[in-house]
Amino acid sequence: MSSSNLQRKLIQIWAFVFKNWIMTKRNVFSLFEILFWPVVGFLSVGLLTNFLELETNMSGFILIGIISMSVTQVCQIDVAYVLLYDLWSKSMKHTFIAPVQPFQLILGSWLIGVFRSFVVFLLLCILSGVAFGFDFLRPGIGPLSLFLLGLFLISALVGISVCILVLLFGYKADVAAWSISSLMALICGIYYPISILPSPLPDIARAIPLTYFLEYFRSFYGFAGEMKNLLAWGFGLTALYLIVEAFLFRTVLYRARKNGVLIKLSE
Amino acid sequence: MALAVIAEGIYKTFRSGWRGKNEKLVLKGIDLQIEEGEIFGILGPNGAGKTTLLSILSTLLLPDRGRVEILGIDGLQDGHRIRERVNISSGNANFLWSLTVQENLHFYGMLYGLMGKEREEKVKQLISLFNLEEHRDVTFDRLSTGMKQRLSLAKSLLNDPAVLFLDEPTVGLDPSVSIWIRDQIRSIQKKKGMTVLLTSHNMREAEYLCSRIAFLKAGEIVTTGTAEALKRMVRIGDLVRIEFNGKISEDDLLRADGVINYTISDNFCEIMVDEGEKRVGPLVAIISQGGAQIKKVTLGQTDLEDVFIEFAKETDSDMGLRL
Repeated sequence: MSSSNLQRKLIQIWAFVFKNWIMTKRNVFSLFEILFWPVVGFLSVGLLTNFLELETNMSGFILIGIISMSVTQVCQIDVAYVLLYDLWSKSMKHTFIAPVQPFQLILGSWLIGVFRSFVVFLLLCILSGVAFGFDFLRPGIGPLSLFLLGLFLISALVGISVCILVLLFGYKADVAAWSISSLMALICGIYYPISILPSPLPDIARAIPLTYFLEYFRSFYGFAGEMKNLLAWGFGLTALYLIVEAFLFRTVLYRARKNGVLIKLSE
Repeated sequence: MALAVIAEGIYKTFRSGWRGKNEKLVLKGIDLQIEEGEIFGILGPNGAGKTTLLSILSTLLLPDRGRVEILGIDGLQDGHRIRERVNISSGNANFLWSLTVQENLHFYGMLYGLMGKEREEKVKQLISLFNLEEHRDVTFDRLSTGMKQRLSLAKSLLNDPAVLFLDEPTVGLDPSVSIWIRDQIRSIQKKKGMTVLLTSHNMREAEYLCSRIAFLKAGEIVTTGTAEALKRMVRIGDLVRIEFNGKISEDDLLRADGVINYTISDNFCEIMVDEGEKRVGPLVAIISQGGAQIKKVTLGQTDLEDVFIEFAKETDSDMGLRL
């Protein structure tokens, strides 16, 4: 690929960073997404752990869960927004008549999601230390970076699922943007170990990479689970799902061009 | 001249309802050839399939079957390459609501790979071309319909497209804005030499802008040709109205060239001729020589709307016969 061609591809990716950034800036609700809901949720759960007089490690177990959830939720919503904004503005066809590839659309919006959710992560880290005396940096920069990378990649998976649903079901799909990650929180053990879930939920949890990343990070706080090779499973499953979703995205986009969804969503 | 757009045997069905059981055949074997640098119009009533056809040619929609070739590129196999060289502007345009005029143009400019200064220049130039300077920092949701349409046209020129698709570009606009937009389309096309494919149900717009026109009705192209050729084809001709004193000889009228039909009443005569401007002089001369004193002559030329109505009637009766 020539350098000008590469630059062209990069600017096309940057277009989606630009779009999501401006939309975030203009939308008061996005401030709630970054500041209000994560902070309120985090403080509520943190105060509950205080009230229940949980040991520091046990509080840590729960705080890791709630921070992971907030990071994932904020990052995935940006990926989902890349099509949701077009859906709500009825401008879908202008995006898809431009010579952009699905990966550029996802990558650009994911980058802004990573940035926004990293801000949320820093904020909640500081808050967890100040308000509850919990040290999020204890495992060290390496494990923390791997953990965050895992969360960011899972967010991409969730966001792409929402985009796929939007191309399949249009307006009926926007509810998925908020519900998929909540469903994941229930199954992957955000507030509890997956072993307490009734069958077959633990098996389903083992098929979701978030379960492995949570268990990996919690292992640094003395919560050693039964599962082994946590990072390998976490990243392996993530890679597998990304490949599957890339194929699905192309397929539903082809279908949307075939059945006229791109036009219907622009009217 | 090379062909910019080729469509052969395009069929399109839309399905709706439970498991897509309700089928509607929207395009029924469309064949079309458009030369490079041409402004080609697709005229037809609402629901004729104009937007569907345009969407297929611009790669937004895939046909059930048929062949599409844009600028020599296969539209069904290589849509991505086509998208780099075409663009679209639609009536009732919608863009990202929270982005300003300038931001929308920058965003779409980036999607077409425009970088840094090149994009800055292009956006500035288009804002100036479409008189959007005062509105450059206004968000899309606060623009008037006319301004939205100007933005839509500006966006469609960001990548200097070789083929520009215009889907009812003046629908819903007041007459003065429509005229301004038509003038802009014509002048830009002349300057850049791009191929323009325009859909409209406005006959005057098509006649003003298009070098050739296709009539689309119920998913089929009824006919294609220049506006003049279409008028001749239906042979409804132009109407010469003459007020006179005295008497007009029917024999004189029958001998005159180009007369299709006529009616004569007291001091008033209506003569249908094939080409009004060419025939009116000789007609006046013949009638005067016959002894009648001519008081007033008016020429009512056939417009495209008459032609369209005629075609619509013809196909209705054809369909009736087939049934």
